[in-house]
Amino acid sequence: MWGRLVTCGGLAIRLLDPAANPPTRTGSPPHRAGGLPIRRRLTICSTKVSCLAAALLLCAAVALAQAADAAYSKSPGFAAYQQGASLFGRSKFPESLAEVDRALTLDPKLVPALTLKAKLAMAINRYDVARECLERALAVEPSSWYAEFLYGFQYYQQNEMPRALAALQKARLLNPRDPRTALYLGLAEETLGRTAEAVAFYQDAIRLEEASGKPHVDPFLSYSRLLFILGDLDGCGRLIERALQLDPASRDVHFESGRLLLKRGLAADAVTEGEAALRLHTGDVTDRQVHFLLIQAYQASGREREAAGHAEAIRAIERQEQK
Amino acid sequence: MSAYSRPRALAPRLFKMAALVSLFPLHAQIQFEEIHRKAGLAFQLQNGATGQFHQIELMAGGVAALDFDGDGCTDLFFANGAGIPDLRKSGPKYHNRLYRNNCDGTFTDVTAKAGLAGEGYSIAVATADFDNDGWPDIFVGGVNGNILYRNRGDGTFENVTVKAGLSGTDPKLGKMWAVSAGWFDYDNDGWLDLFVVNYVAWDPATEPQCGAPDARFYCHPNAYRGLPNQLFHNNRDGTFTDVSRASGIAQHIGKGMGVAFADFDGDGFIDVFVANDSVRNFLFRNRGDGTFQEMGLEAGIAFRQDGAAIAGMGADFRDFDNDGLPDLVVSGMINDGFQLFRNLGKRRLFEDVGQASGLLAGTRQMTGWSLGMYDFDNDGWKDLFFALSHFPALDRYLGRPSALPNQVFRNVSGNPSTNAGGRRFQDVSATAGPGFQHAALHHGAAFADFDNDGRIDVVVTTLEGPVELLHNISKSGNHWLAVKLRGHRSNRQGLGAVVRVQLPDGRVLYGHATTSVGYASSSEPLVRFGLGTYGEAKTVEVRWPSGETQVVSGVKGDRVVEIEEAEAHK
Repeated sequence: MWGRLVTCGGLAIRLLDPAANPPTRTGSPPHRAGGLPIRRRLTICSTKVSCLAAALLLCAAVALAQAADAAYSKSPGFAAYQQGASLFGRSKFPESLAEVDRALTLDPKLVPALTLKAKLAMAINRYDVARECLERALAVEPSSWYAEFLYGFQYYQQNEMPRALAALQKARLLNPRDPRTALYLGLAEETLGRTAEAVAFYQDAIRLEEASGKPHVDPFLSYSRLLFILGDLDGCGRLIERALQLDPASRDVHFESGRLLLKRGLAADAVTEGEAALRLHTGDVTDRQVHFLLIQAYQASGREREAAGHAEAIRAIERQEQK
Repeated sequence: MSAYSRPRALAPRLFKMAALVSLFPLHAQIQFEEIHRKAGLAFQLQNGATGQFHQIELMAGGVAALDFDGDGCTDLFFANGAGIPDLRKSGPKYHNRLYRNNCDGTFTDVTAKAGLAGEGYSIAVATADFDNDGWPDIFVGGVNGNILYRNRGDGTFENVTVKAGLSGTDPKLGKMWAVSAGWFDYDNDGWLDLFVVNYVAWDPATEPQCGAPDARFYCHPNAYRGLPNQLFHNNRDGTFTDVSRASGIAQHIGKGMGVAFADFDGDGFIDVFVANDSVRNFLFRNRGDGTFQEMGLEAGIAFRQDGAAIAGMGADFRDFDNDGLPDLVVSGMINDGFQLFRNLGKRRLFEDVGQASGLLAGTRQMTGWSLGMYDFDNDGWKDLFFALSHFPALDRYLGRPSALPNQVFRNVSGNPSTNAGGRRFQDVSATAGPGFQHAALHHGAAFADFDNDGRIDVVVTTLEGPVELLHNISKSGNHWLAVKLRGHRSNRQGLGAVVRVQLPDGRVLYGHATTSVGYASSSEPLVRFGLGTYGEAKTVEVRWPSGETQVVSGVKGDRVVEIEEAEAHK
């Protein structure tokens, strides 16, 4: 849980898990930016949402916000909010925050500004501020599904699962067509060990993604990881296959494919997938994870020298971290 | 078919059935009763918590099972916390405690007489006879001080820390926070050496605060700098030499929790496994020349299957599938899933069998501390016990209590009735008795047969609560054998010796002598075997750390058998 701040798609959002896998790739922002990580994650490790999805999440939010913006265009703080949103889109977070604060001084009930400030606050681990903003937003506009979704999301990020579930369920009632809400409901249920409920939400998230015409891989991967743990390798394989069709440039998908192949005893194919994953940079799986997969895949292929090379790569990462 | 042909045809079938029955012993439920009150164990573990979320509060709870007075009844020693931030044992409630087993189901607190009340914030206990005088000694590891107590053999102990050079203070790093420790003879010279597992650099004055201002919580280990572990060579004269750097151990910075020893590659030298918290696990292969090669990555035990580091806690390094190769079990935090690594016996590789064995799915919602791999129903297959609890104050995040009941998994690898096949474990906690269902903040655990009935019992510490003594009352009717070793060329307790028991049907069971089991704790040094339906072992073979091999034939079961190493101590 409480993890890293990742920047993707020109937008910033704090993604899941992270504590166990600090980013290692060039360009990844430092772990626990803006605050110390709270002890341990509860969230399952299979809860990462890819940068692409995160970007799309925010793009969708932006589109929604644009529609909602019309309702707020006459607000005295609207211009400042728009400026803040634009700066946020360009990753100029301090400047964005200043504009959002100005907007809220002019209109403390400006809901889009409150949700944007909540996102900015989450980006610097100020979940208390994010929560307060979202509570204010929901007091002004109780039917805002996006504010409710973010409210549930921040609780999920803070590991407060009962509250996360309550908010996400409300968001789902307000907008049953949003696949991300279903995905996070699945993730929260899985975190609490309610496998059947998690499976139902993952399946629903996949259905909604497919119905959208532009499905994203995240629910496919989350569901496949759960099936892997449950030992349903065939079901896992079908989901990974679909994820590969949807996003062949995703490191995460190739990594999961490699893990499955290794589990099935197809070491040479696992090597191929692992090496492919290592070459890709879109996703949340770290270099360290891929190297560990490759150590095992090469060993199983009888290629000890290559395996040793990947072990050394991990040790080099560790030496770097210790500096 | 003649009238006589039927019995003749049946005879071999009946014989085969009888053989099958003997192959597959009785699988009565594993059951425990909780008897700490009846036993007179009044110890309560104090972690000194004051709501400030100091990291050290999470780690207390070491316990040791040892026969300090040599009466054949296993006694108990508990490590205890101290006040925070002064880290002093300001009153009796913080004292470490020694309880003598009265051999009648009760215990007596003999701390004062023994001189073991201790000082500082204690966490780890490791017991063994380091000076080969026949009396087990006690090492206590902690936050601000480590202590070595030499057992005088008269019911009292002497603090020999300074003379021994085991205060734990590193010339460069100062006193490091020890959470586990263990004794083993890494150079097979007949004298036990000490491995100390250190966690993170921690200072009450600079303790970071984590979480939002309205929701403070314990910091993630990433908020602290990791530490190296330490190895101390026994100089055979009551002193030790810090060989952490020379051996290569100190080169590896971790956040150590549990430690376990076994000769995993069968080269005659004991290797070391260290479970780390949120960074990868270490496997130190003993090269046999005084140095160690860290090869957790190559061996496949460094990470979880997806390459993520778990919050590793307790560890045990024993053979769960009776193939003669020590395997590894490691507990972790909620949503980690506990790890089970099977030793493949080739190219020093392990296979992660957590998922296939059923352990991963069965433990994903648990946070495990100490643990042990013992044959609780004496059916010839080692089972798994986990001391469980989430972190204190995690309730709000989970929506359910942090306190948990413990968990026991039966090894059903050899049980045809389960139709499980392969290497499988089955969670049998729900049927392990009413006393087993008690939820608490369980931490340390030690394993021994406290009432000498042949069934292994468990003692478990709980944060800010009473100790639990889980008396094994499983009614399997299976036979057992406990091997007590007495080394001469090897160390006196024979720690590190590998014991191989052949049953009358030809099957072979394996074990090795160690007191390093679980988290921060220390268990009896006896090597135990469940014999199933057999009342005796065909042979018992001991491979001593000295290299000697000894075979004893026709060993009667249901008793503790002492096997003495042939050659005199040099």
